[in-house]
This record gives sequence, structure tokens and C-alpha cells, in this order.
Amino acid sequence: MFNYSWEQLTKTIAEVVSQNVSGEIWNWLHENTNQANTGRFNRTFAAIPSKTGKASVSITNDQQKQIASLLPGFTIEGWPVDRLCRVWLLMQLDATDQQKYFRSIENLFLTADVNEQEALYASLPVLAYPELWAKRCAEGIRSNIGTVLQTIICDNPYPSVYLDDKAWNQLVLKAFFTEKPVHRIIGLDKRNNKELADTLVDYAHERWAAGRAINPQLWRGVGRFINENNFDDIKRVFDSTDKIEQAAAALACNDANYTPAKELLQSHSRLADEIKNDRLTWWILGERYMTVLA
Amino acid sequence: MCCSNNLTEKDLLPGKQDTSYLERIKGMRFFDPHIHMTSRTTDDYQAMADAGIVAIIEPAFWLGQPRTGVDTFRDYYSSLVGWERFRSSQFGIKHYCTIGLNSREANNEALAEQVMEILPLFIYKEGVVGVGEIGFDDQTPAEDKYYRLQLELAKEASMPVQIHTPHRDKKKGTSRSMDIALEHNLDPYTVIVDHNNEETVKEVLDRGFWAAFTIYPFTKMGNERMVEIVKQYGTERIMINSAADWGISDPLAVPKTAALMKDHGFSDEDIRMVTYQNAITAFAQSGQINVDDFTVAQGIDQSEKFEGNTILRGGQQPRVDKNSMIIK
Repeated sequence: MFNYSWEQLTKTIAEVVSQNVSGEIWNWLHENTNQANTGRFNRTFAAIPSKTGKASVSITNDQQKQIASLLPGFTIEGWPVDRLCRVWLLMQLDATDQQKYFRSIENLFLTADVNEQEALYASLPVLAYPELWAKRCAEGIRSNIGTVLQTIICDNPYPSVYLDDKAWNQLVLKAFFTEKPVHRIIGLDKRNNKELADTLVDYAHERWAAGRAINPQLWRGVGRFINENNFDDIKRVFDSTDKIEQAAAALACNDANYTPAKELLQSHSRLADEIKNDRLTWWILGERYMTVLA
Repeated sequence: MCCSNNLTEKDLLPGKQDTSYLERIKGMRFFDPHIHMTSRTTDDYQAMADAGIVAIIEPAFWLGQPRTGVDTFRDYYSSLVGWERFRSSQFGIKHYCTIGLNSREANNEALAEQVMEILPLFIYKEGVVGVGEIGFDDQTPAEDKYYRLQLELAKEASMPVQIHTPHRDKKKGTSRSMDIALEHNLDPYTVIVDHNNEETVKEVLDRGFWAAFTIYPFTKMGNERMVEIVKQYGTERIMINSAADWGISDPLAVPKTAALMKDHGFSDEDIRMVTYQNAITAFAQSGQINVDDFTVAQGIDQSEKFEGNTILRGGQQPRVDKNSMIIK
């Protein structure tokens, strides 16, 4: 039913919730997890922010580590407390009847306000019957609401495990088009594929034609698929006067299986050295790029 | 909602925009408690933000043609708490809404029954500040029935009610709307009676209800008349709105009326009451309005970063120079 240890994760999350809300609210949440009454469950789900407020969740390092070990990639760091409570509430929903469970949650999606949508999509990794939500996740990627999109794209371990290639590629492209912090997509390198790499190269050409900047993480999707057709593009990026672009080209070459790309990297010994010593990684580059944008 | 207008050729000539009134209301904050942004453009949002509008209420209404199924109602309600709320946030304007079955569509009883069933899914949502806009259009028995049912819903949820008063037979329709609200034991202090005019205002105020005025060209109030009403009745329990929608209407009606009041020598405090505070006091009875949220939405520097990433908080829209011929 669950692809992780539900008992342990729900216990840890309950612990964090109880640290972040008053005893009165905690009791209110408990009393309203009544499984028999759908109307009451839905109303509790809707009413949570008016009870809890939206302060950022405070959490200990140990709790963070524990959550990460129970469900790799999953994090509640930086969440507003109402989202945490909603996700905890969703975890309490009786999942024994698969049909009923699916309908209850799907109905919440259909009537959700902005914050509820964020909570629902953030909850995908902890829901029962994870394979059931792939379509819903793909639908979420079509959302035009920036904050909702971000909860699917960034720091969410669900998409890379359950989306098929088509939907996954849309997620990555949407991340670039809507200027999300791409390096925070979980499972990016593992899910890279030739079709996506080709589309990203086309996209880079469009950006160049329009005189617009390119997010350097784009070349992360190309690295493993560098070949004689796109190598000129990589050389162009390597020749850039922009240090971040240059570093992106170096990282892409490091990922490549194409000998001329490997040689190109070796001819830039300083960058090659930084990569070797983990002083230059895609994550570091992503963070650096965000700072420059800021 | 707009009806037939007696337009002349002169009315249709392109006019010069005089925005000097904005200078006179600089620094003031406005709350438009009735506006249908679903029917408006991003240019409107931008102009509203520039004129000092910090928060709005979008009542659920008739979209200009009748809906034929409950799903389109559900999608409409969910867009009011979803997409439209997000769109508004991009311009730093805090968006609230009221949820209800409007009077015209109450006349399709088979559909109205289904709509009544889904209303409870929405009225408890965050940022829903009342049941509205409900009331009478033709004053049919079906309208009467669903108006009453929704008053009960509001009572159960402890929500304010936003009443749409009819265009035709307005005076009697307004009295009747209030009679029924009292019959259902609603506290008049939780009921906002909308689209008032010189003929209805006295009774509404005397009976303890809130009196809202819609500044809407040709069919409802003009703002010069509005100024006279405030002179006569004061500012207590009076609020103004634009009810801007898909008809010829003005999303800047509230700031423009504020400027006109200023020209007529009203104090800033009087202006604040009818263009900001009274609407907040009335609708905050829902427990869903937090004035601090306006400041959060407004104080956004477009270059400000959220959680250290490039996403502008709430996905704020970058500004576009409307006067530039070059589009980048």
C-alpha cells in the first residue's frame, strides 16, 4: 500500500507537527481525523490554515535526517506549518479501500484552492498506492500557478520515480520555461534521456535566436548525449566569457561519453581539477546561478 | 451587471486619459469589495495596483450566459480560490471571494439543486469571506427558494452575506431581501446589501444592514451622486465598490471616487472608511481577512527572491513599459 514505512514516518511527522502547533490545535487535528465522515475530513483540510497560521516549520537536524532516511528525497524543510498539517492529515486517511481512497483525494484536488493544491502535490510522495497518482502529477505539471508548479518540480521525490518519459520531459522543460531552480529537481541526472537532450538543444538555439539568456543547468541534460551533432554548441558555451556558462560546459563535458568532449575538458585543467575535487558540481553551479540572478 | 446603454457617437470617441487624480490620492490604500476579475485583463490589475488597491473581493456571479452543468459551476468556484487568486497575487493584490449561486441561475432549478450540494465544499475555504452574491433578479419563487437556502448556509457557517439587489423593481426587491434575511434570524450587521441608490439607502441603514454602492457607469451609481450620499448619510456602514465585470465598467471606480471625495473636502479618514475600512470590518466577520496579508502582498520588491531562488514571491509579474513601441 505504501512504499515506505508509514508507521515510522507518520510518527516523526506527528512529532514535528506537535512541536509547531499548540496543544489545542493538535487535539483539534486529532479529533477531526474521523474516517467515517468525508464532509468533516474535507472541512478540516480546508480549515487548517485558519487554525495553524503559516509560519515556517521548525525542525531539528535529527528529525530531518530521520525523514530523509525513511523516504529518500522527501523533505519538509521550509514548509509552512499549514502544509505540514495538511500532509499529516492526508497520511491519516484510511487507505484500505483503494477506490474510495483515490476518490476522496482526487475530489480534494478538484476543489482545491492555491495553498491546498500546494499541500496536495507536496503530499504525493507519502500517499498510498503511489502509482495511482502519476496522471494527477502529470496534470499538475500543466498548472499555470507558479507556486503549485514549484511544489511538484522542486524538492519532490515523487515525479522522478513514477512519471513516464513523456511527462518527465515536460516537467524538466516546464522548469526551464518557468524559471524554476532546476538544480532542485530530484532525480534529474538519473532520468536524463536522448529525446530530452535533443529538445533542450533546440530550446537553447531558440533562446540564442531571441537574444535571451540560458539557464546553465540546461547543459546538464545534454552532457551524456553530447555527440558530433551538438558538440559545436558545447564548444560555443565553453567559449563564453561568462564564468558560469563556462563551468556548465565543463560539467557537461565531464558527463559526456564523447571523446572530443572529454579532451576539451582536459584542455581546461583548472575546471577539470575543480570538478575532480568536487569543488564544482551541478548543485554548486545551480546555487551560484541563483545568487547571480538575485 | 450592465444592461442596455444609451450610447451616443460622442460617448464612443476615443478620450484622452487624465490620470492627475492619482496624485491627489497618493499613498492611500483601497479595498474594492466587489469586482469580477475573471472578466478583466492584466492591464486592469496593473492599473488597480498602481492606483492603490491592495485587496479585493470577487463575488461568484453570472458569467454573462447561463451555465448548463454543475461541473462548470465547480470549475468556476475553484478558479476563484485558485487561478484568479494567483493571478491577483502577481500584482500584489490580495484576492478574496464570496461563494454562492446567483439569482439568475437559481431559476434553473434542476441545476440549482446540484449547485447547492457543492457549495459547502467551497464556503469553508481559506479566503472565502462570505456567501454571495445572492438575492433577487426577477424575484421569482425559485430565486426566493435558493436565496433562503443560502441564507441558512451562511448562518450555519457563520459567514457574512453579500446581497445583490435587483435592477428592476429595485426598491421593493431590496426591502424584501432584508425582510427575508431577518426572517431567517440573520444579524443585519453580517449582511451587506449591495447596489444601493438614493432610493434604497435610508431603509438599509435604518434597519442596521451594511449599505454598499456600486459605482458603475450608466446603469448604477455615478460617483458624483455617491459624494452627495456620503454628505447626507455620513460614513457609517457605507462602502463603495466597482462591480467591474464584462460590461462597460471601471475597475478604478473606488480610487476615482476617493479622489472626488477629496476634491469635495472630505477628510482622509472619511475617505478611508468608505473606500477601505468599512468593507474590511464587514467581511472580516468571516474570520478570513488578515490586514497584514495586504502588506505582505504589497511590499514585494520585484527583485526580491523567495527561499533564495529566482522565483519571485507569489510569482510576481515583471513590469512592462506599456508606452514602449518595442516589445522585448
